[in-house]
Amino acid sequence: MIAFGSSITEPDVYSRCAEVGIRRAAEPDSEVRAMPAVGSIFRSYNALLEEFSGRENVEALVLVHQDAEIVEPGFCEIIRSALADPKVGLVGCVGAIGVRSIAWWEASVTCASFINRYEEHGGGDLPSFSWAWNEAPAYARVGEVETLDGFVLALSPWVVRNLRFDERLGEFHGYDLDFCLQAREAGLKVVTADFRAIHYRQLEMVPDPEQWIEAHVRLADKWDGRMGIGAGAGSWRDRALRAEAAADAARLKDHMNELEMQARVRELERALAITTGSISWRLTAPFRRLRRPRPAAPAHLTRRSALQASR
Amino acid sequence: MIAFGASIQGAEAYRRYAEPGIELAREPDSLVYAFAAVEPLARTYNLILDAAAGRDDLEALALVHAHTELTDPRFCSKVREALRDPEVAIVGCAGAWSVRGIAWWEGEVTAGALVQRYEEHGGGELPAYSWTRRGSPPAEVEAVDGQLLVLSPWAVRNLRFDEGLMLNYGFDVDFCLQARGAGRRVVVADLRAVYHRSIELVNDLDVWIAAHVQLAEKWDGTLRGAVEDEHGWKRRARRAEADREAARAIAFSTSLKLDARVLELERDLEEKTSSLSWRLTAPLRALNRWRRG
Repeated sequence: MIAFGSSITEPDVYSRCAEVGIRRAAEPDSEVRAMPAVGSIFRSYNALLEEFSGRENVEALVLVHQDAEIVEPGFCEIIRSALADPKVGLVGCVGAIGVRSIAWWEASVTCASFINRYEEHGGGDLPSFSWAWNEAPAYARVGEVETLDGFVLALSPWVVRNLRFDERLGEFHGYDLDFCLQAREAGLKVVTADFRAIHYRQLEMVPDPEQWIEAHVRLADKWDGRMGIGAGAGSWRDRALRAEAAADAARLKDHMNELEMQARVRELERALAITTGSISWRLTAPFRRLRRPRPAAPAHLTRRSALQASR
Repeated sequence: MIAFGASIQGAEAYRRYAEPGIELAREPDSLVYAFAAVEPLARTYNLILDAAAGRDDLEALALVHAHTELTDPRFCSKVREALRDPEVAIVGCAGAWSVRGIAWWEGEVTAGALVQRYEEHGGGELPAYSWTRRGSPPAEVEAVDGQLLVLSPWAVRNLRFDEGLMLNYGFDVDFCLQARGAGRRVVVADLRAVYHRSIELVNDLDVWIAAHVQLAEKWDGTLRGAVEDEHGWKRRARRAEADREAARAIAFSTSLKLDARVLELERDLEEKTSSLSWRLTAPLRALNRWRRG
């Protein structure tokens, strides 16, 4: 039996996103445990593991974020197939190698079969690079990775019984990387498989930078170079000065992005004002009022590279 | 006498921006030291300092970047006012307190009525440093923006730009740190100017990063406090690496938001300009354009 679990802080989000996908993916005998969060995601997920760890018939436990929707009808078969190798402990649809920190997207991402669906600015989709395999770049592949994005995570029975999320690490950030590291340290493989999901999330990747930074430091301290986490070239002094410079460079890039946005938005607003202020637009207003509005087509952001879009 | 100096790398930029601004701001007796650029920028500025240092009647030397246009007819009187305090060595039009590196704008920024004028996307202007909160001058700061540096006679005679900083970034912060190290003050005054520059403030971030490291190595104990031992460096590196990756993620989020906002406006424009009524009336608009020539 393949079980599903979710930790819920916003029931309406769960019912709009995760529940829909679980219904689509689950088999008739699948058990679904949608549980109100009991603290941090570490603790909530551990509660789910405790619930299923004593069960003999569990083939896999799939942990789904409340804002993630599995869109693969054959999901359970894909998970079964991935877990047929007894060395495999964890399965996901987004993963990377060469990971050195919780910012796993800074590493070499090998698989990103998801869409980031956002609501800001009229809403839209950001399809990641292996969402459509026929358009995927050469580096896209499924298989063994160092870490997975935890928004949809399938766990083998051994993992459910033997591993636990490290509740000392904080509230949310880094729970998935740390869990993958534990699995790999225990000799298990962490793999991506060919299933797809939609992640309903805002465009802001780090809404709580201070918490994120603290989690980053805690995880680096915990693993302290083991499995490559927290490793880097040069002395600590070199690393500090380089990283401080690169952080300021990233902020400078951010400022330039903001200027770019203001300039482009002004340009488009000028064009819109010219259009709607023209005599011909005003003369033909009555005809447009007679027309029924067309349904909006889904928007896709395509300007950025596929790898970036995965981040 | 208030003198003006400029390092001219692109003659066109100087002619279009700095020169008219200097003409507006100068007084009849002002001298203008317009020197051809010698790399690095610090070298040219030192040549200007050497030339101005011998003038007994020097009240101030304003170093104006070729892309900076002074727009303040009261420039000289404001400079005199700012330099009335003999402890003031450097006056700028923008600067910051809590400066921790060449990115002085990450500190607590003070800026007057400054405008950034850009040519991209049909052109336009924005308040300079619009991305951050800006306090109003006058204010004492730790460093000022090198787009405009007004130096006291003491600074002209006693300080020199560090020609060892080869990458042309951070010369302003370094110069201000030298002045403050000598016990002098650095201030921002309400000097009006337009920065004529691209939205892309720095076109080679790798070079900028190298310059950041270079200045940090020179002034590190001053900018961020001394680090005692290897453990201290490790703590600092851990924090800095986390901060770097958070900053990258935030920058990437901004670019996503930019795309989403632009896409929204493009959809709106596309919907309007592809409407039947808009297409049907295209000949009228063409006629109108032709009529207006």
